[in-house]
Amino acid sequence: MRRTVTLLSRHAGGGGDGRSIPQALSDVLVCPLSKKPLSGVDSIPSLATAHYCCPRFRPANLAAPVRVLSRSRYCEASGSLVSDAVGVSFPVVDGIPSLVPKDGKFLEDDQGKSEQDSKL
Amino acid sequence: MTLRAAAAARRLASCTRQQSVVLGSQAEAAHLLAPGMAAGSPRAAAAFLHSHATSFGYKQVREEEKSKLVGNVFSSVASSYDVMNDLMSAGLHRLWKDRLVSKLSPFPGMKHLDVAGGTGDVAFRVLDSIKSVSRRAVGGAISDIEEDTHIYVCDINPNMLNVGKKRASERGYNEEKCLSWIQGDAEALSFEDGSMDGYTIAFGIRNVTHIEKALAEAYRVLKRGGRFLCLELSHVDVPLFKQIYDVYSFSVIPAVGELVAGDRQSYQYLVESIRRFPNQENFAQMIQEAGFERVEYENLVGGVVAIHSGLKL
Repeated sequence: MRRTVTLLSRHAGGGGDGRSIPQALSDVLVCPLSKKPLSGVDSIPSLATAHYCCPRFRPANLAAPVRVLSRSRYCEASGSLVSDAVGVSFPVVDGIPSLVPKDGKFLEDDQGKSEQDSKL
Repeated sequence: MTLRAAAAARRLASCTRQQSVVLGSQAEAAHLLAPGMAAGSPRAAAAFLHSHATSFGYKQVREEEKSKLVGNVFSSVASSYDVMNDLMSAGLHRLWKDRLVSKLSPFPGMKHLDVAGGTGDVAFRVLDSIKSVSRRAVGGAISDIEEDTHIYVCDINPNMLNVGKKRASERGYNEEKCLSWIQGDAEALSFEDGSMDGYTIAFGIRNVTHIEKALAEAYRVLKRGGRFLCLELSHVDVPLFKQIYDVYSFSVIPAVGELVAGDRQSYQYLVESIRRFPNQENFAQMIQEAGFERVEYENLVGGVVAIHSGLKL
């Protein structure tokens, strides 16, 4: 998990210095809702966990699990931290990760766009 | 202004007199039981927590709104926060924070979390303390352990964090490698279980909507052997001094707030929220209920501030 988060943070930091996350930070950060590690290039979000962890979660919103490639591309584009467990992304503003639960955005907002691109 | 202070003092006096009377409706009971509630009873505790979550100073607000109202207060005062602290406490807040950090006993290699630490006061002190410890111990050479040192500053308000980051670069703490700024909610921290050696919250817990959640989160992120420290404005019982303090709080502070920060309301909220917060004993009880052991508190300036501490064993 540590390697994948580092990978993500390097990708996220590609665009500009306002988006990169230092390693020491990415090592301890977890999703404030599920307390599970952030992003991850490998796992698929668990619907059951999302239902219990995220108070704003409605099962109908999550039509299908978000694909691996689309998640990592989404992160590169926006420089945000992703919580797979609840399907929520958190922005990084001026190098400060904003991990306040109410600031999280559902991933499936961009799902339609990303799924067209994914090669899985 | 004196009339307002007198009215406020009378309101306080009547609160204290009636605190032993328990009435039917929970809302009324919560209002009367607030600061000096009957210790031990779970209904009283639940009633207090509900009343804290729905109060903004002396005003009643909806639970969902409290966080936003507090957010507005700090966005408004962020740029003059440090100046106002100096004025209101005559510079004493610096000594209080020094005392807090000395009780923490920082060590090189520690992972420390400072919650609601927006402008960085406590974080800078912890860093300085660690640097001086390692200089004494290692004689100037940088070891591997030192590189593991990391201070995380968490605050729900981005304006406060930005002020903190700016101060950090002004003071030359450009060690991005050991200082991190994160926007987060004390009630839902974004740190792994058992990842922190120390947790401090200075003048922040009063502003949290659900205190018990913040305490539970503090317990969760601390390692075994980790230390919890809370510096907060508290209750003064010393007879004459209490009256003087009340007059000072309700007359002088909002006026200075208006003059310096251009915001009387926020400072009115501040002094009211201090009175609504539980007293030293009751807050210590809440910390114990969150799971901490060896809970104790130290009063400074006769109870104007108190430092509560606990250990996760």
